[in-house]
Amino acid sequence: MSAYQGRADDGRTAGRRGRAGERPPVTAADEGGGAPEAGPRAVDRRKALAWLGGGTVAASALLSACSSSANGNTPGQSVKGGVGNFPSTPKWKFVFVNHVTTNSFFTPTRSGLADAAAMLGLPTPQWTGSETGDVSQMANAMQTAINSGAHGIAIALTDNNAFVGPTKTAFAKGIPVIAYNATAPGNYPLTYVGQDLYQSGYQMGLRIAQNVTSGQILVGISQPGGNNVQPRLDGLKAALKAKAPAVTVTSINTGAAQAGELNAMTAAYSGHSGAKGLYAVDAGSTAAIAQLIKSRNLTGKVHAGGFDTLTDTIEGVKSGALDFTIDQSAYLQGFLPVLYLYMYRLSGTLVAPPETDTGLTFVTKDNAGTYASANSVFEGGSSRSLINLPSSLTLPPASTVQL
Amino acid sequence: MSGNTPASTSPSPSPASSPPAAEAAAPSPSGPGRGRGLAAAVGRGLIRRRELSIFVVCVAAAIYFAVTGSGFTTGENYHTIAQYVAPWIIVAAGEVMLLVCGQIDLSAGFVFTLAPFLVTTFTGDGLPLFPAVVCGLLLCAAIGLVNGLIHTLFNLASFIVTLGMAFFLEGMSLIASNAQPVSAPASGWLVSVLGKSRWSELIWALVIVAVMQVVLSSTRFGIGTQAVGSNPVGAAESGIRTNRIKNVNFVVASTLAGFGGILDGIRVGSFDPTNGGNETMFLAVASAVIGGTALLGGSGTVVGALLGALLLGIVYDGFNLTGVNANAFDVVLGIAIVAAMLLNVYLSVLRKRASR
Repeated sequence: MSAYQGRADDGRTAGRRGRAGERPPVTAADEGGGAPEAGPRAVDRRKALAWLGGGTVAASALLSACSSSANGNTPGQSVKGGVGNFPSTPKWKFVFVNHVTTNSFFTPTRSGLADAAAMLGLPTPQWTGSETGDVSQMANAMQTAINSGAHGIAIALTDNNAFVGPTKTAFAKGIPVIAYNATAPGNYPLTYVGQDLYQSGYQMGLRIAQNVTSGQILVGISQPGGNNVQPRLDGLKAALKAKAPAVTVTSINTGAAQAGELNAMTAAYSGHSGAKGLYAVDAGSTAAIAQLIKSRNLTGKVHAGGFDTLTDTIEGVKSGALDFTIDQSAYLQGFLPVLYLYMYRLSGTLVAPPETDTGLTFVTKDNAGTYASANSVFEGGSSRSLINLPSSLTLPPASTVQL
Repeated sequence: MSGNTPASTSPSPSPASSPPAAEAAAPSPSGPGRGRGLAAAVGRGLIRRRELSIFVVCVAAAIYFAVTGSGFTTGENYHTIAQYVAPWIIVAAGEVMLLVCGQIDLSAGFVFTLAPFLVTTFTGDGLPLFPAVVCGLLLCAAIGLVNGLIHTLFNLASFIVTLGMAFFLEGMSLIASNAQPVSAPASGWLVSVLGKSRWSELIWALVIVAVMQVVLSSTRFGIGTQAVGSNPVGAAESGIRTNRIKNVNFVVASTLAGFGGILDGIRVGSFDPTNGGNETMFLAVASAVIGGTALLGGSGTVVGALLGALLLGIVYDGFNLTGVNANAFDVVLGIAIVAAMLLNVYLSVLRKRASR
C-alpha cells in the first residue's frame, strides 16, 4: 500500500469512514456465527446477505484507505487562505501516469510528488499507469484520469503516438499535461521535467572515453527502443565515435526485471570476457553490473559505470567497482511537476512551467558517501532527517553558457 | 443502473420469467408451436444462464462506482471502459472455445503482441493495408495450427505447447519490432473500421461474441467442441473428429487474438512490443472463467466471457477513477475479483433455488 497517503478530513470521506468503522464488528460477529455451519444449505440467507454487506463495507473502507488522492490533505492544514502568500485553492487532484509503476527507481519520485503536494496543501497525487510498460494500459489510465476530472496530469511519454490523442482531449477539457522522466517528439506536453537523455548519454560517452580508448565495451539496456533509455545509448555511441572511435559498443538487451538483468549481464560478460568496460544506460542494469563485479571480483580489472542511484549501484561506486554513476534526481521528477501544475493553475496560465533538465550529476567515489550514509528520501531511502551540508563544497564544473 | 450502458446490448434475459423456466426445463428442441418453442428457448436459457448472475454482479459493481466515484457515469468513461474490455473480450472469445474443448492457449497474449508487427512487415514490403491484415491474420491462424498440431500429433499438453509458443512469440515480437514501437497506420477507411473510429473496437468485440456464441451453441462444430471437452473418449467413439475440432479451435483462438492485437494497436495509434503479452492473456482467461466457463472443459459461453470482461473492466476503470494508487491497485483488484466471484456463486445458488 502506498506510503504516501494523505489524511482524510473532508466531510464525505469522514462519513464513509464512520460507517465503515461501525460495521466491521457486525461482520466479525456474523462470521463467527456462520463459520461452524458446514455446507451451503446451512447458511441462512439473511446471514449470508449480512456477510456480503459487511464485505462491501470492508471493501469500501479499504478503498477509502487506499484512494489517497480522493481525500488526502496535509495534517494540520486549517481552512484559511492558501499556503504561503497564495490564495486558497480547491483541492486540486493531480495524476501521474507511469510506465513501470512498481519500479524502485521511482520511489524518490513518489516521495517528491507527495512532498510537493503536502507543501501546497493538495491531496497526494494518484500514481497509476502500467507495471510492465504496456502503452495501451497507460493510455487507458490517462483517459480514466481525464474522465475522473483530474486537475493536472504528469505522464512519462514512453511512446510517440499513443498519448497524442489523450493529451489533446485533456487540454480541450482544461487539464494541463506535463511530461516527466521521458518525452517524445510530436507530442503536446506543456513542458518536460526530466533528464536530457541524449545529452546524458553523450556526457557518459565522453566520460568512458577517458578510461577506455580501444577494444570492446558492453552496454546494458533494459528496453531497446524505449524513449527513456534508447536516446542515452545513442548519445553514448555518438560521443565514443567522436572521442574514441576505436571502441566498439555491444549493446545487451537486459529486460526490465532486475533478476533477469543480472543474469543477462553475467551471461554477456561470460561470452565477452575480453571486454574493457561494462556499462549500462538504465538503473537496473547498472545495479546488475555492480553486483556482477562484486561477485566475480572484477574490481579494477574492468571499467564500469551507469545510471541512477539504486543501493547496489551506490555501494558499487563507493567500493570502487563502478567508476561512476549518473544521478538524474528522480525526486525532482515528482516534486517539480506538482509544483509546476499548481503554479500554472494558480496563475491561470501566467506562470508557464519551464522545460527542466533534472540533471546530470556524476556520482564518484568522492561524493558517493553522502548517498550511501544518508538513506534519504531524496534518493529512495526512508530517512527524512536533515542532511548536514559539508563545511566546504566541491567546486561545480565551469559554466559553459554562450554569450 | 445507467452505469453499464455498454453492456446493455448484451443479451440479458429478463429475470421476471423464472416460473416458465421451470416449465421449460424439459428439452423440446423442435417444439410444435413457434411461441412455445420461443418460450422454451428463453426458459432453457434462463435456467442455464450463469451469465445472469455475473450480469447482476456487473450492475452491482457499476452502481458501486457510480455512487462512490465521480465521473463514472459519463459517456467518456463508458468509452474508456470499452477500451479496456474490447481486447479482453476478443481474446476471451477464442479462449472460451478452447477452454470448452478442454484446452488452453497461453500464447494468445503474444499473438496479440506480434500480429501488428506481422502487418507492418507486409505493409513495409509494399502491400496495401487490407491484404497485409489478411496475410497477418493468416499467419496468426498458422500459429494456432502449429499449436494444435503439436498438441494433437504428439499428444503434448496444450498448456506446455502454448507456453513454449508464448515465449517464442515474445521473442519474435521483439525481433520483428526491433524492440521499438512503430506508428500504427492512421488514415483511411480501413483504419477507421479497424479500431480508429470511436466505438469500432467494441463493435467488433460484440460482433465476434455474437458469431462465436452462435457457433458454439448452435452448430455441429460447437456441439462437437462441447462434447470433446466434456467427454473426449465418448466423443471420439461417437464419430466426432476430436483432433480436427481441437485444431480448428486453436486456429480460431489464435486468429482472434491476432485480430484483437491489430485493432488495439490501431486504436492506440502505436504498435508497441510491450502491448498485450501475458497480462492480456490472463485477463482474457479470467474473463472466460468469471463468465462461467469451466477451466477443465465441457461448458462455457462466449456471452459469459463478455460479461466477465465487462466486470473486470468496470473494476479496473472504477478503481483508477477512484484514485487507487498503483501499489495498492493489484491488492484491491485481487480482492474485488474474488469477492465478485463469491457474489456470483452466491447468486447462482439463489437462482437455482428459485428455479427449482
